[in-house]
Amino acid sequence: MGLSKTGIFDSVVSVMQGEFEIPPERLRPDAHLIDDLDLDSIDAIDLAVRLEERLGVSFDEDDLKSLRTLQDVVDLIHERL
Amino acid sequence: MSASSRGGSSPRWTQIAERGSLWGLRFSVWCYRVLGRRVATLLAHVIVTYFFLTDGRGRRSSAAYLRRVRATPEGRAHLRSRPGLWECFLHYREFALVIVDRVGLWFGGGGDFEFESHGVEYFDRLTEEGRGSIVVGAHMGNFDALRLLAVRARTVVNVLMFTDHAQHINRILRELSPHAEARVIRVAPDSVRAVFEVRRCLERGEVVAMLGDRVEPTDRGRTGRVTLLGGEVELPQAPFLLAGLLGCPVVFMLALREGAGRYRVYCHPIADRLRLRPRERGAETAKLVSAYAELLERYCVRSPYQWFNFFDYWGELGGGRPR
Repeated sequence: MGLSKTGIFDSVVSVMQGEFEIPPERLRPDAHLIDDLDLDSIDAIDLAVRLEERLGVSFDEDDLKSLRTLQDVVDLIHERL
Repeated sequence: MSASSRGGSSPRWTQIAERGSLWGLRFSVWCYRVLGRRVATLLAHVIVTYFFLTDGRGRRSSAAYLRRVRATPEGRAHLRSRPGLWECFLHYREFALVIVDRVGLWFGGGGDFEFESHGVEYFDRLTEEGRGSIVVGAHMGNFDALRLLAVRARTVVNVLMFTDHAQHINRILRELSPHAEARVIRVAPDSVRAVFEVRRCLERGEVVAMLGDRVEPTDRGRTGRVTLLGGEVELPQAPFLLAGLLGCPVVFMLALREGAGRYRVYCHPIADRLRLRPRERGAETAKLVSAYAELLERYCVRSPYQWFNFFDYWGELGGGRPR
């Protein structure tokens, strides 16, 4: 609610850094979740669950399949909030 | 090689079991209802004897398993003589008895059964708190006794299965046992959908049940290597990965046959509140798979004949990959 895309991006980055231990320099908006950040399907679900808890959005299975990059994650959350 | 031959046997096994189970389910229910429990038991003996006589590989697998049980001190106490043909037959026979009970339990009204429970109070607490849980069983004893747990907890049991026939099975369940309060969730290759489905069930405070002793194609390498009865095997990580993602309790459960229509249900919480961080997921999941294997072994040596994996479980019999 009222969260800007920059704010959402910061939250996503903080989860990726804190929980997935991905170095901040790799967390660019165009970073590909699978190819650049090495997330597998279990990680993707984990990320979704953590972002849901943190930001109060909710995802479903089709959402996860449509996400390719960090920016996609941010855009989707922005759309939902 | 051992792991690959086990993995290779899975698709074949599941396909046969499915084809058999749908046709067999209707037929068994018909027998049980029309001919009664005694005749159904007799018939099950005939069928199982047929399999015992014709399935050499199954017989050898049974003997290999029983030898492993007997190699443990407690197993030796339960299996007095060296496993031979007679012990293998008793093993097969136990399968027949449990199959008849399964049918009776689902479709015969359930009144013919007596249950004694150990550790089920844990479920009562979960129900009071409205928490869903993952229940991990095995192809051992009578997992369908879980239904009674659901009745006790006034909740729904969702069974996670590797099957292309989930809707079909659901329809038969509804048709034959409208009050069964059970549902089958299909685990498809796009398992993300299954995870979300499981989450919805848990959020409603329901039980999600699965069997943790066989690796299925849908496990896609997410397995843990553990020692079971002195030999190494791969077991699925799925129940523990799911619980770790969704933060729900995982409970080990078996219902073992004690005598005619008498069962003892054993529940052991494996983890109460499990929420794994990505970096600890691998190591923690491995520990949980080991904890599950320890419990499995404990009951294998206690009730040796109730283990229903009639295939080369340890990949030790040779003969190459089953076709």
